[in-house]
Amino acid sequence: MSPTAKKRLYAVLKNGGLAIYSVFALFPLLWMVILTFKSDAEMLTTTFVFTPTLDNYKQVLFYTDYFRYIKDSVIVAGGAVLVSVLAGVPAAYAFARYEFKNKEKIAFQILSFKFAPEILVVLPLYMIYQKLGLYDSYLGLIWVYQLISMPLIIWVVRGYFEDISVEIEHAAQVDGYNWYQVFLKFLLPLIKPGLVSSALLCFIFAWNSFTFPLLLAGIKIEPITVAATKYLAQSTVHYGQMAVAATISALPSIIFAICIQKHLVRGLSFGAVKG
Amino acid sequence: MAKIELINVSKRFGKTTALKNVTLEIQDKEFFVLFGPAGAGKTTILNNIAGIQIPEEGMVRIGDEVVNQVDPADRNVAMVFENYALYPHMTVYDNIASPLRSPRYKKFKDNKAQNEAYIKEAVHKVAAMMKIDKLLERLPSQLSNGQRQRVALGRALVREPNVFLMDEPLAHLDAKLRNAMRSELKEMQTAFGTTSIYVTHDFMEAMSLANRIAVINLGEIIQVGTSDEIYYMPRNEFVAQLMGDPEINLLECTLVREDGSSLCWAECPEQLIPMPKHEELEERTEGMEQIHVGLRPQNVHYHFEKVPGAFTGNVYSFETIGNKSVLTVQVGDQHLRVIAPNGLPVKLDQEIFVTMEIDRAIFFDAGTTEYIGRFDEAAVKELVAEQAKEA
Repeated sequence: MSPTAKKRLYAVLKNGGLAIYSVFALFPLLWMVILTFKSDAEMLTTTFVFTPTLDNYKQVLFYTDYFRYIKDSVIVAGGAVLVSVLAGVPAAYAFARYEFKNKEKIAFQILSFKFAPEILVVLPLYMIYQKLGLYDSYLGLIWVYQLISMPLIIWVVRGYFEDISVEIEHAAQVDGYNWYQVFLKFLLPLIKPGLVSSALLCFIFAWNSFTFPLLLAGIKIEPITVAATKYLAQSTVHYGQMAVAATISALPSIIFAICIQKHLVRGLSFGAVKG
Repeated sequence: MAKIELINVSKRFGKTTALKNVTLEIQDKEFFVLFGPAGAGKTTILNNIAGIQIPEEGMVRIGDEVVNQVDPADRNVAMVFENYALYPHMTVYDNIASPLRSPRYKKFKDNKAQNEAYIKEAVHKVAAMMKIDKLLERLPSQLSNGQRQRVALGRALVREPNVFLMDEPLAHLDAKLRNAMRSELKEMQTAFGTTSIYVTHDFMEAMSLANRIAVINLGEIIQVGTSDEIYYMPRNEFVAQLMGDPEINLLECTLVREDGSSLCWAECPEQLIPMPKHEELEERTEGMEQIHVGLRPQNVHYHFEKVPGAFTGNVYSFETIGNKSVLTVQVGDQHLRVIAPNGLPVKLDQEIFVTMEIDRAIFFDAGTTEYIGRFDEAAVKELVAEQAKEA
């Protein structure tokens, strides 16, 4: 085989493989979107050929509390990320810059919060939350979401801080900036890629979280992941409405992921100071 | 512009002591060099003056003010860091402009446009001086090490600080640029008249730049003096070895006294070297048996034929270092480095004779390695005094 033919074959195989993978990855999404346009009657009888209808959207968006669920999701996921950033960035700085007793042990302990399966810890947490009055509250969910988001932010941002040579801080101090100005003007821009990508990842994780809100909330506060199960009624299953709820709730994650895709990979894999 | 004083400064990091009772007084407008081997504590001294580190004990004074409790931002010092410490997310222009934009050193606090106009002028002036005016739009990652170093210098020079602190600012430049920058730095300092403290481990840099040098080892000041004082009257063998390349020869000698009390012979490797009569030296070596004789390589001479008073040895090695060569001669079990011209026709192990200018030698106590004296000490002192008068 000549080299050009070889190259061509390689290209065909590569693109063929990618095409197969993209079908594998995207088909469930596509299927979900198709379902949203089907009426209940056509749900189980048709595949690709059907009469599209917007009834499901109307039903979900106008006749249920859909926007309240979305609002709840935004508040708990956004709040969780905000708390994680506000507390995690200083913690990451401390882990990167200061020497203290049992530093690595504490850092590992924080990471280990992510090890336990949610379902394992959620029952004791349920009892604790009942007693503390945190059950079914924004604060309670935001708090428990720290298990999801805090370790990630601390570990990613810590790596970024470690990559910034401490002399850069010293130089900025000598240049006439106080510590807060040094942080905002010199450190923050350098950790930004890591901070943004890990924060967005945390947001997606928190948004998608199901076990915690299912068991620790669900009456007054219903994030969309939990609320979506409502469309599984006792006797009937409105697949179309469920698909609408799922599709719309998946949108933020997908949009974020697409927007930051490039930065996400770079932010999580590169250091702060490339040179 | 200010006088800098360190009084009994000690700095510890955990259990290691980085500085032990360092006392230094740096005069206003002086170009002061901190010189010593790696890990001696030179950078720690700079950091303590800049306020990046706070000493556990002792006092740091800038001008007449004790600054132990003053933040680095308020000390009005400019520092060049060894690893440049450029801000990677800012262009060269913004890096140099950074101190002039800081809340502390802004020229025009209320008028941003005026401030920026001033910055533009100042940055361009410095950039032209540093020959980086074509690089102003680049990021530090797009620069070579030499260029980065010049940006770091530029960032310090753009201000009018009390003191310039420079931590090996020329270490990463290529030889040609280093020489050019060395003379330029000296010129600039003379022109600005700003007190400068300069850290280096290169004795040539130290000698050519400094008004005075402090030799530091293991966190302690070993000796403070002008280049010539330190070169000709090193406080101990360590200083003597550090100053000078090729390194000074140190010979273990036994003093042999004739006529009862007078010092006149020294038994170096199995042969006697006649020493001139010198009463002060005789007094200082009273009761000593062993001394070390320090001889700079330029004060030892080689001969291919036996001359009176010469030592017989063998060629041990011959290396060319630029415009001259170092010939190492083995005499007994001691090695003597001798300066020789390039291309000297010698073969290894060939027999060769050396003579020593004993009147240029520096004598050290064999036990403590401390300086004892030299025959022409009076002349050296006179030279130093004369230099001090000129300055």
